[in-house]
Amino acid sequence: MAGSGRDERAWVRGAQAGSASDLEALFRAHWPRAYRAAYLVVGDAAAAEDIAQEAFLAAVRSLDRFDRRRPFGPWLHRIVVNRAIDWARARRLRAEAELTDLLPAPPEPDRTEAEPLAARIAELSPEHRAVIVLRYVLEYTPGEIARLLGVPRGTVNSRLRRGLDQLKAAL
Amino acid sequence: MRRELEHLEIPDEHEARLRTWEVVRTAFAEREPAPRSVRLVRPVLVVAALATLAAAALSPPGRAVIDRVRDAIGVEDAEEALFSLPGEGRLLVESADGPWLVQPDGSKRLLGAYREASWSPFGRFVVGARANELVALEPDGDVRWSLARPDVRAPRWGGTRTDTRIAYRRGEGLRVVAGNGEGDRAACADVVAPVAPAWRPGSRHVLAFVAPGGVVHAYATDRCELLWRSQALTDVRALEWSPDGSMLLVRGERSLRVLDARGRVRFDLLARQAAPVLAAAFSPAGDAVAFVQLAGGRSTLWLVPRLRPDRSAARKLFEGTGAFTGLAWSPDGSRLLVAWREADQWVFVRTAGARRIEAVSRIRAQFGGSFPRLAGWCCAR
Repeated sequence: MAGSGRDERAWVRGAQAGSASDLEALFRAHWPRAYRAAYLVVGDAAAAEDIAQEAFLAAVRSLDRFDRRRPFGPWLHRIVVNRAIDWARARRLRAEAELTDLLPAPPEPDRTEAEPLAARIAELSPEHRAVIVLRYVLEYTPGEIARLLGVPRGTVNSRLRRGLDQLKAAL
Repeated sequence: MRRELEHLEIPDEHEARLRTWEVVRTAFAEREPAPRSVRLVRPVLVVAALATLAAAALSPPGRAVIDRVRDAIGVEDAEEALFSLPGEGRLLVESADGPWLVQPDGSKRLLGAYREASWSPFGRFVVGARANELVALEPDGDVRWSLARPDVRAPRWGGTRTDTRIAYRRGEGLRVVAGNGEGDRAACADVVAPVAPAWRPGSRHVLAFVAPGGVVHAYATDRCELLWRSQALTDVRALEWSPDGSMLLVRGERSLRVLDARGRVRFDLLARQAAPVLAAAFSPAGDAVAFVQLAGGRSTLWLVPRLRPDRSAARKLFEGTGAFTGLAWSPDGSRLLVAWREADQWVFVRTAGARRIEAVSRIRAQFGGSFPRLAGWCCAR
């Protein structure tokens, strides 16, 4: 779980001052959800690890300029989810190109029968997956999701509705 | 659903966490705190800059040289990547691959293989063109709608939050379509000059465009009613309304004029045969104009902080070797972004207060290999 706002500001301040333990506290608080969100959007554990890792590295690189008045989580999640969408889109495009060239399709995501919901989520488009993950894993409101993804709130609501309808039908 | 997603077992999760922490910890240990100010390229240049600042202090107000980079190209100590934008808003740029949208945290996305992209009002959507298609996009690249039309050029989106129009050139003429993609029709001009039209902010759907011969026209497009016509202006390159719609900035090849609400020249900002003007833009508040001139192989960024009839009010903000190919105001007006092609850098210049320049290098590599065109920094929330 993420720490309180006060904890988090203190960790950011400490990390900015060079404290590795404060950085580790931030990492421990935010890694699980960042990794889970990335995994649910891309459906590939290795890619999710890369995406979450890149997001934390971006955080380290821009730590000095980070505005401590802002919460750290939404900033990190925006990077994670946008990169995950880009990755999923790129894989879809690669798959299309490979099919055109009559090459074998890419391997299926590493999911098991025991995870029917995750498997159904994987059948949604990356954009629909992202809003479902932001809403139900990261627990953002539709307005916050709209700001994170840079799309109108109405688009978020319609993607949520459509995504949930598809999931209900599939389950 | 939330519970099931939270308890979903992800393969290798613990190991992934350990590996990532190791990488992050190492990067943290090796990092150097960001410099608080920009150093110039060589020590001798620091002297030059100090001399320039001293000269600035002695020169009349409004003519101060805020910063100067002499013979070398580029700002040293530039960030190696665009880790974040200095301020609110999202930046739309266009490389050879198509338009990219850059978020305040530096994350960016290629919207697709479109060209001539521009923002809709309030940054809600993006419009772009393909050879035979006009395309309205969500800011994440999803196609909202598209319209197959031959030879689409220079689409521009205007209007209010609830009622918008898109104007675009098709062949030699001008057309208008509603913001939902319906009602495409010819718009009041069979032949226009090859300059992007400009919507006046607001609800009346007033469009300014340049007719052959350099006469600027303003039409209320819903009724196709001519509101005014300017005098003939030479070599017009671009039009831009002030945010309140009371003035129109007309950039010529070597001129910069501000027209009033009736199309009369209110301010003629440059002398005759001035150096070529590469870019110009109203500030978000509409009270200032920034522009770039190229002379003797060097570009200069100027700021006219308050529009007034005499030409003495321009302040030189920044200059460098080569072409500044683009200019964009931050949504809050606190910074100007200059696209410096020869340096392969973006330079953020503060417009007021303490002197500060921030630069980002390796722009080409970050946008697919070509130096991108700035298409707008939008919008204050």
